[in-house]
Amino acid sequence: MHMSTRQNLQGNHACALAAIAAGCRFYGGYPITPSSEIAERMSLELPRVGGVFIQMEDEIASMGAVIGASMGGVKAMTATSGPGFSLKQENLGYAAMTEIPCVIVNVMRGGPSTGLPTRPAQGDIMQTRWGTHGDHPIIVLTPSSVREIYAQTIRAFNLSEVLRTPVILLYDETIGHLVETVDLPDPATIERADRKWATGPREGFRPYADPGDGIPAMARPGDGYRSHTTGLTHAEHGFPTQNPADVDRVMHRLLGKFDQHRDLIDSFEALHTDDAEVLVVAIGIAARAAGRAVRQARAAGMRAGLFRPVTLWPFPEDSFREHAARASTVLVVEMNAGQLSLEIERLCAQPGKVARLTRFTGEPIGPAEILATIQERARHGHA
Amino acid sequence: MDNRSGNAVQLRFGGSGGQGLQLSAKILAATLLRAGRTIALSQSYEPTSRGGVSRSDIVVGEGAEPVDFPLATELDYLVLLDEVASRSSLPLVRGGGVVLADADRVEPGGGERLVLRRLPFTALARSLGNERVANVVALGALIAVAELCSLATVEAVVREETPRKFLDINLEALAAGHRLVMAPAAEAAVGC
Repeated sequence: MHMSTRQNLQGNHACALAAIAAGCRFYGGYPITPSSEIAERMSLELPRVGGVFIQMEDEIASMGAVIGASMGGVKAMTATSGPGFSLKQENLGYAAMTEIPCVIVNVMRGGPSTGLPTRPAQGDIMQTRWGTHGDHPIIVLTPSSVREIYAQTIRAFNLSEVLRTPVILLYDETIGHLVETVDLPDPATIERADRKWATGPREGFRPYADPGDGIPAMARPGDGYRSHTTGLTHAEHGFPTQNPADVDRVMHRLLGKFDQHRDLIDSFEALHTDDAEVLVVAIGIAARAAGRAVRQARAAGMRAGLFRPVTLWPFPEDSFREHAARASTVLVVEMNAGQLSLEIERLCAQPGKVARLTRFTGEPIGPAEILATIQERARHGHA
Repeated sequence: MDNRSGNAVQLRFGGSGGQGLQLSAKILAATLLRAGRTIALSQSYEPTSRGGVSRSDIVVGEGAEPVDFPLATELDYLVLLDEVASRSSLPLVRGGGVVLADADRVEPGGGERLVLRRLPFTALARSLGNERVANVVALGALIAVAELCSLATVEAVVREETPRKFLDINLEALAAGHRLVMAPAAEAAVGC
């Protein structure tokens, strides 16, 4: 591979190459448009580095295999699209509950159901946050270019390892199938993080005890620690409990385990936000269009800005509130019926401040439409 | 308002699924990379292995940085291999933009706004022995018109990307398409 030279690279292929560079050595999946190129590339790349690729019988089994591989100590991933992602939800909840590091890629197409299988959409913004049952911690990263898919895939693996959590990489079909000229970093320069392995005394080992940072160390299979893993609500010793005081304590630790690591987790891009009167919020291909629209609006003398969450969940809400404080309009541009808008409306909590530009026809929203809406709102703001 | 924002050139291969539009665009994108350009290549197709509207767009950037918005907003060049892609593609061509349309499969038209040239891509491909290389004939014609890269660079990419069994006919198709624009008389025998 000529990794450090300029190349034309597809988004999905960038994801696969980054996974290999991040240390992923297991892929269990079931192909589905528009994510299939990830599986195809992984099936070629994994054997070259001594890894294992399995095309499973379905998405449910794929997610189970990925969790099993990770419990065995191997960095593991799967990739899918909306309908397949729905099938993974039960096991995704299991991974969140048992705190098994793994990476799940969801390349979004038009839905619901079979929907528009070859067309782009951003309809899984809420499914990535609340698709699985029960309250649970989850991290979702949402790149908007081929280069960023590469960087965020590596980051997804590192965050999943360090924070012992499933991490979802979420992008639309346009970004996944987009080919861009990129210059990838030398794999030797890539920082790889590994999970904390238990190293203390084997006697009295408590696999889910909080070591202080909210993230318990995992027992490496074969290291001699007595460890128990269950999807049942479990206390620090790893065995099931229904004692309300225990449940309250361990669930508070689980649900709050990202709290002291938000510096590591939160990420976003802010463009011309300092004095923005109209602040656009968008992800994926909609954010690429919004970026041009904002630059054109600036060139025309309008005070427009862009806030692009790179970490979608947990939403970088403190940073967003700071950037949105001075705006008179926050314009949410998204390829669905209004999902990110719900979160932005919650954060703005000001009637009339949030405007929506949404579409679910399978056609991306272009810069011209966003610019027209910015113009309209800028006039509205002055009136 | 400027609808291009730093994009040097925008091109589209449009037609019916199965005509090799994605492949032509991929070859051209690889050629432009070799010529030192920065590109964004996007595609659209329907959930059928053949038929339906299929297109592949290339946005060529002006510098080394990735293009800001990677989708086509205003085409400079449109290659049309089937009428099915006309309605969605022709309105996207800028005033004075060039349309290279297959003479057998695309209706005459385009109006005064565009330069529409109907060329015998399919007929030429048939005369070479395989109608399916019409996409490569069209690619040859496009590079002659657009002057984005040399025929030799495209040839080098075609040599690398094509299975040996189909190499000769693809090289012939590329050269024939190029001549179609550079020296139209040479291909007159095929007619349109």
